[in-house]
Amino acid sequence: MTSVARVSSLPIWRQPWAVNSMVTAASVLVCLLLLPSRIPGMELLGVAPHWLLIWVVAWSIKRNQWQGAMAGLVLGLLQDAMTAPHPTHTLSLIVVGVLTARLQKQRYLQEDIVSVALIVFAMAVIAETVLALQISFNQLVSAESLYPPLGSIWLYHQRIALSSAILSSLWAPALYYPLNRWWDRYSSDA
Amino acid sequence: MFALRRWWTRHALKAGMVTLAVSSAWLLRASDGALIYEAYNWLTRPLQPGLSREQQFENSYILELQQRIVELENQNRSLQTMADYEAAAVQEGVRAAVIGRAADHWWQQVVLNRGSRQGVAVGHVVTGPGGLIGRVIAVSPSTSRVLLISDPTSRVGAKVSRSRAMGVVRGQSNNRVVIEFFEKLPDVKTGDVIVTSSYSRLFPRDIPIGRIESIDLTKSPAPEAVIQLSSPLSILEWAMVHPFEPQETVDAPVLPGATPENGVVPEAGEARP
Repeated sequence: MTSVARVSSLPIWRQPWAVNSMVTAASVLVCLLLLPSRIPGMELLGVAPHWLLIWVVAWSIKRNQWQGAMAGLVLGLLQDAMTAPHPTHTLSLIVVGVLTARLQKQRYLQEDIVSVALIVFAMAVIAETVLALQISFNQLVSAESLYPPLGSIWLYHQRIALSSAILSSLWAPALYYPLNRWWDRYSSDA
Repeated sequence: MFALRRWWTRHALKAGMVTLAVSSAWLLRASDGALIYEAYNWLTRPLQPGLSREQQFENSYILELQQRIVELENQNRSLQTMADYEAAAVQEGVRAAVIGRAADHWWQQVVLNRGSRQGVAVGHVVTGPGGLIGRVIAVSPSTSRVLLISDPTSRVGAKVSRSRAMGVVRGQSNNRVVIEFFEKLPDVKTGDVIVTSSYSRLFPRDIPIGRIESIDLTKSPAPEAVIQLSSPLSILEWAMVHPFEPQETVDAPVLPGATPENGVVPEAGEARP
């Protein structure tokens, strides 16, 4: 009882939920700022790690599918803002969020970084496939499509899906570990 | 009513957070991520290349000059037969450093550190050491985003400088571009210089693009040639932004099935903002 009274008497910016949302928003911002950069060592065949995807996986791994879908929607809109609204990234990131939450990792798999890296690997391939499907659909349906023929779309998809999956899974622990520690601490406090 | 109120007291915070997150993401999307790119520009300022790094591109400059000479010689020849000749279309521009790349794997874009505050606007043409790079597709107060000519959705009207054979340059998303010729048997050979054509609506004419690397005349529906770009797109550090007014509304009728140039469908204005 006393702890509740103490918590609610704090100013709004020091309450746990406010601090948690600020840390969460700041981590998204860091991911966004990492996206256009090509830091040496973070690049393979001109492809950088998909930081937003790693973030969505880290978020969804211990949450339900609605929360995963919401994170996918918000981060997908943000990535659309940074590139182009078509094909949309919301779809691929929503699929990633829902699938990761549906895995119910904590029930079947042990808590460790290797399994997170594996999940990120699979999800990166799925996310690029969803984008490639959207582009192929546009190519098939619209007569004025600017995209190349299907063969070259899927050849390109192979290349970037593989390099994005390898890089993202290698860099996943760097983001997953601190975020997971923070959310664990917050949920045990609250 | 009571159930609704109970739901509200339990989930008000969560619902508020979700609405806030979705609406702010939507707002950022509507502004083309200008805020994020401003922050990115501010953060990477200490890392942006200094003027001394320009020497690394000396070789590319020499290549560009050689290609310009080839183009000038050809122009000179045609000038002798032509009385009414227009002045060159490229104006002096702003110098900008490349501070970032596309925030996604499917696009070939670069981010420059000059924006609307320095007079850069959507549609301006960007060249680098070596020749044409692309065109500006989005600006924020101090950054701008450039769609490279190697992007698969990019189309540039071009010609062979030697023989005046016309074609369209298409990106291949992997730092290589191909030119599709309009004629069945174009007069072209390996090593020919490709420059933008005067029929291009989005680019001024006579900017060097690259050299023909290999030719495939049997390709259907149109003969194709692979171009080796003269500007090193993957290691680019500097670029020039030239003011240019794209002619997006043209009086000439557009043939049905004709490929619109560089993402612009004449009726709909810009296909990709």
